[in-house]
Amino acid sequence: MTSRRAWLSTAIGTLLAALYVVPVYWMVATSLKRPGDIFASPPDLVPSPVSFAAYADSVLTHAGVLRGLANSTVIGLATTVLTLALAMPAAYGLARFRLRFVNGFLLLFLVVQMIPAINVALPMFVILSHLDLVNTYTGLVLANCSLALPLAVTVLRPYFLAVPGEVVEAARVDGCNQWSAFVRIALPVTVPGIVTVAVVSFLGAWGEFVFALALTTKDEMQPISVVLAGLTNAFGTRWNDVMAVSAVVALPIFLAFLFLQRFVVGGLTAGASKS
Amino acid sequence: MTLLLGKRRAVVAGVSPRPRRRVPLSAYLFVLPAVLFVAATVLYPLAYNIDLSFRDVGLREIVAGGGDFVGLRNYAAELGRPEFRHALAVSLIYTVLSVGLAFGCGLAMAVFLNRRFPGRNLMRSALLVAWVLPTVVSANIWRWMLDGTYGLVNTALGGLGLIDRGVFWLVEPVTALAAVILATVWTMAPFAMILLLAGLQNIPATLYEAARIDGAGALRRFTSITMPMLRPVNMTVLLLLFVTTFKTFDTIYLMTRGGPGDATTILPIHAYLEAFQFFRFGTGAAATTVMLLIPLLLSVFYFRALRKEDLA
Repeated sequence: MTSRRAWLSTAIGTLLAALYVVPVYWMVATSLKRPGDIFASPPDLVPSPVSFAAYADSVLTHAGVLRGLANSTVIGLATTVLTLALAMPAAYGLARFRLRFVNGFLLLFLVVQMIPAINVALPMFVILSHLDLVNTYTGLVLANCSLALPLAVTVLRPYFLAVPGEVVEAARVDGCNQWSAFVRIALPVTVPGIVTVAVVSFLGAWGEFVFALALTTKDEMQPISVVLAGLTNAFGTRWNDVMAVSAVVALPIFLAFLFLQRFVVGGLTAGASKS
Repeated sequence: MTLLLGKRRAVVAGVSPRPRRRVPLSAYLFVLPAVLFVAATVLYPLAYNIDLSFRDVGLREIVAGGGDFVGLRNYAAELGRPEFRHALAVSLIYTVLSVGLAFGCGLAMAVFLNRRFPGRNLMRSALLVAWVLPTVVSANIWRWMLDGTYGLVNTALGGLGLIDRGVFWLVEPVTALAAVILATVWTMAPFAMILLLAGLQNIPATLYEAARIDGAGALRRFTSITMPMLRPVNMTVLLLLFVTTFKTFDTIYLMTRGGPGDATTILPIHAYLEAFQFFRFGTGAAATTVMLLIPLLLSVFYFRALRKEDLA
């Protein structure tokens, strides 16, 4: 390819990337404007002056937003821990042993991911109300884990398949039982996969909306995703405030993307390209 | 995406060269907790949902438990209602258009990003941001971008001379549907792109060289090599796009709440409103059970086709 054609590609690619960067930029830019400035016509492409008023008013001092962020952090962390605790042994077991029904189990974990969330959220609300678990962290963590676990097992299993069987055998010969061979030998070499699953589980719970909406009826238990949805009505046209909260909700995703992209995208796409 | 990797692996696992040995029962203990968890939190609720769909369950029954068995009355009521049929139609229009556009755009982006040029990796990362962004965030961004008076989209279209006054996208039925499709395609196209790109990179370069020597042009190489070689990946991507789009809830709920009127009320929104706004859990359950049939049937066809291809 001639270099002129390569540069033409770069130009087209830049336009394409702009379609994706501009909306995100616009969120950040709007959040940094003063309340009156967002209604300028034509709009100011760069906020001037830059103002952090929206963050001060709608994030740092808004009780609902702070509580939503705290709720989502608790739910996200608990979901991650529970998902890992269940997914690591399961993925190892499905990779290491020639169990009966391996394909059946794998199919179960796959098909479950295709089910619309509302199909489970509706009956789960009824079940949890009988158990008095609506508006509890327990209910939300169980729900989020039901979404994260099938994905976690399918992502993790290939990592355990890559662990040479001989290494685990050697540990067994040296006196490890099944469990300690798993914990001491297999887990340490699959850390990249575990990080991927941890990040994906946390971010999944952080942004989850359907279960969060269905399983919380009290304001103080709402995760940030539901709080944010409520703000767009409560704040009306205060778009700088809405965008400030949106930016804060997006922050963990951007951080993960910046620092852990190798794990998040790399991990998932490496699997896809091998298929 | 994991479906894509998983399904191939599932097939591969069946022909694994490792010899089958006696497996100690304790090995099942590794898998058991996760399987039981999925059974309790997904399969049990699904079964419970079917039970609900045969009962008359309102707010009182939710609190006190129970609910009279009414047979197929909820189904008859749901299927006979214009609201349900309307939601089904909107769901299908929304899903088919979104999937078609997301697949087309994703394929174009994948073919484009498969070329070598400066800045390629950076651009690929930029596209992926949309895919990892929580839908609560992207739906809000689009609501603001599409604002009738101050929205950036109207400003841009006005600047290009395409419109002469503000379009109130989310207020008119047709433009509202177009708007939620736009937001969906924006999110789903990079997802299709990353899977298709992986598929493209698996096509041997020698095929293209041979075609070039034989005098095949770029279009011919695309139709005679790229598309046939990509067929299995295409099928997977289309299925994944369909299943994911069909179950969309957040994007539409946040952008339009199913409105204006019921212009964007897709089935999941309809079922949600039935249950959580009108407290008709029985009919809501019937609606979701019918809704589940569509992705389920598609998956069955898909796995059948896949098996056929693997045997061929």
